[in-house]
Amino acid sequence: MVTEEAAIGVSPGEELRVDLLVEEGAAVAEGAAVARLRDAPGIALVAPMPARVGRVGLRPGHRLSEIVLFREAGGDVATHDRAGADTPAGLVRLMQAAGVWRRLRRRPFGRMPAAAERPAAIFVMAADTRPHAPDLHVDAEALARGLAALARLTDGPVCLCAPPGALPGLTGPRLRRIAVGPRHPQGLPGLCLHAAFPARPDAPVWDLHAEDAAHLGTLLATGRLPQTRRVTVAGPALTETRTLTCQIGADLRALAYGAVQPGPHRILSGSALDGHEARFLAPLHRQATVLPGPAAARVPHWFLSALTRSALPRPVIPSAALHQAAGGAFPVMAMVRALSIGDDETAVKLGALSLLEEDLALIDYVTGAEPPLAHHLRALLDRAEAEAAP
Amino acid sequence: MIRGLWDRETVALLLLAALMPVALMWLWFGGIDAVARLALALVVSGAWHGVFMLARAQPPSLAGALAALAVAMLAPEDLGLFRLVLGISFGAVFGELVFGGWGRNVVNPATVTLAFLGFGFPAFPWPEFVAPVAWAAIPAAALGIALGVMPFGVVAGATAVAGLALAAGADLGPVLPVAGLVLVLLVCDPVASAATPLGRWLNGALYAALVLVFAAGWAGAAPVQVCVAAALLASLAAPLLDEAAIALWLQQRRRRHGRP
Repeated sequence: MVTEEAAIGVSPGEELRVDLLVEEGAAVAEGAAVARLRDAPGIALVAPMPARVGRVGLRPGHRLSEIVLFREAGGDVATHDRAGADTPAGLVRLMQAAGVWRRLRRRPFGRMPAAAERPAAIFVMAADTRPHAPDLHVDAEALARGLAALARLTDGPVCLCAPPGALPGLTGPRLRRIAVGPRHPQGLPGLCLHAAFPARPDAPVWDLHAEDAAHLGTLLATGRLPQTRRVTVAGPALTETRTLTCQIGADLRALAYGAVQPGPHRILSGSALDGHEARFLAPLHRQATVLPGPAAARVPHWFLSALTRSALPRPVIPSAALHQAAGGAFPVMAMVRALSIGDDETAVKLGALSLLEEDLALIDYVTGAEPPLAHHLRALLDRAEAEAAP
Repeated sequence: MIRGLWDRETVALLLLAALMPVALMWLWFGGIDAVARLALALVVSGAWHGVFMLARAQPPSLAGALAALAVAMLAPEDLGLFRLVLGISFGAVFGELVFGGWGRNVVNPATVTLAFLGFGFPAFPWPEFVAPVAWAAIPAAALGIALGVMPFGVVAGATAVAGLALAAGADLGPVLPVAGLVLVLLVCDPVASAATPLGRWLNGALYAALVLVFAAGWAGAAPVQVCVAAALLASLAAPLLDEAAIALWLQQRRRRHGRP
């Protein structure tokens, strides 16, 4: 299902300074570049469907907020030049121009990698344990080609994180298989990475979804990058859970259309644990969640809010639930304490640089922590990023 | 976004539920006297929570009831109203509330109260427990572990050391049942005990070892006195044990990855 509207957007907190290549109202082919990064003109943002550019949202300093596109049936599909893709530099150039780069995430800090970066390892996630996450359906041949290409981007291992027994027969140079358990949060890239190959500022680790690795394989074979992904739409305000294939940046209201129960509701991009309210699917998300609401904005009595708001952050009590929410990956109480008192040194020692907000989302959910630990972690990562910046 | 239910009050409520076998058994055999002591401890503890709510805007916690139950069961007998109120106040305020309430304290407030009363008024007799009350510690520990609010490692570590000592022929006599009661009432407080798996085993083992040492070498001490002193020292050592467990974990990680 390809929705009528889609957007090229940014992940929450991401800053992209862009130069536009097309005007509002211009027609673009699927996979054609719509904008380029100012600091790295090789990296393109591409259209996820043949479309007409509807609205360009830029914040001061040419910072992208979103580019809304309207579908044009029967438009072209851009083909990229594959010449030179057998050298690492040529491969990087192709990936940046075709928009695969946008689907990579780098740790520490959780942003798109810089144009000239060479990672210490690459994690390919063929598992996702989030509630209602879509099952993996990939072309094994394309995935093998994608994994072989990824191995040329790094001198370290390419780690394929998959449930035991899944995707048999895949081999490749420096390919390492990591067995992932079936329970959340075992299938989060952050926890796999934390256990197998911790990220450091001087040794960044990339992660991407196996579907995107397979798409890279398809790009190398055909010159065309598939712009679709499998997405589930779930949540308590829906009459049915949908799994569908839609374009990147799809309009979430169109995805949920016809299945929403009567009454007010909120649509999140991402799972119920780590999602955020949005109109369009976020660049790295494969799930949309529809929740009933909005919750009635009842103002609590001043005495009650004086009691509850002044005692923040709320204490977290160690329990079996808390330990399971961290997947046993790190000493969870030590991490909780270090994060909530702002002890960056200890948190980094325990492996905070390998983690992102989504990796602590289950802990926040389970304990009802307030303010959420994910916010503390993001603040720590921002401080560390500012420190590591040249 | 959605929110789970394992916040502070849920854990306190489940701990209270887990301690119900012990509490009900003790009330059943203690009669009106026990009810009066529990009511007094609850009122004094609740009053201090109220004071800190008004003066410091700290939300009151059900954990106050946990401490009150432990104090009512384990405090020396015939203390009189004034000394008991003084002890409970000292424990509640300096053991818990000045740190910001349950979850931020270092030592269980009931342990502080009992140590204060024990060292401050040594002439008063410590309570003794009938066998059914002591047996009730086993279902209490099982409930607490099954609900996930009591640390399994602490119970397991203490049981392992006690089992080893009994197998080696140590005669604990009347100390053993009381040690079990104190284990579930004081030592298994998730906040005041260690928080890492290895640290918890060490914490439980340390508690049991201290009980063994005191029982063997502390002439004239009552079983409750022995166990409370062991609980106090074990919970003071908990952060150290955690630190050791984390240092060990970091070292293993460094060996495996060549990096933290």
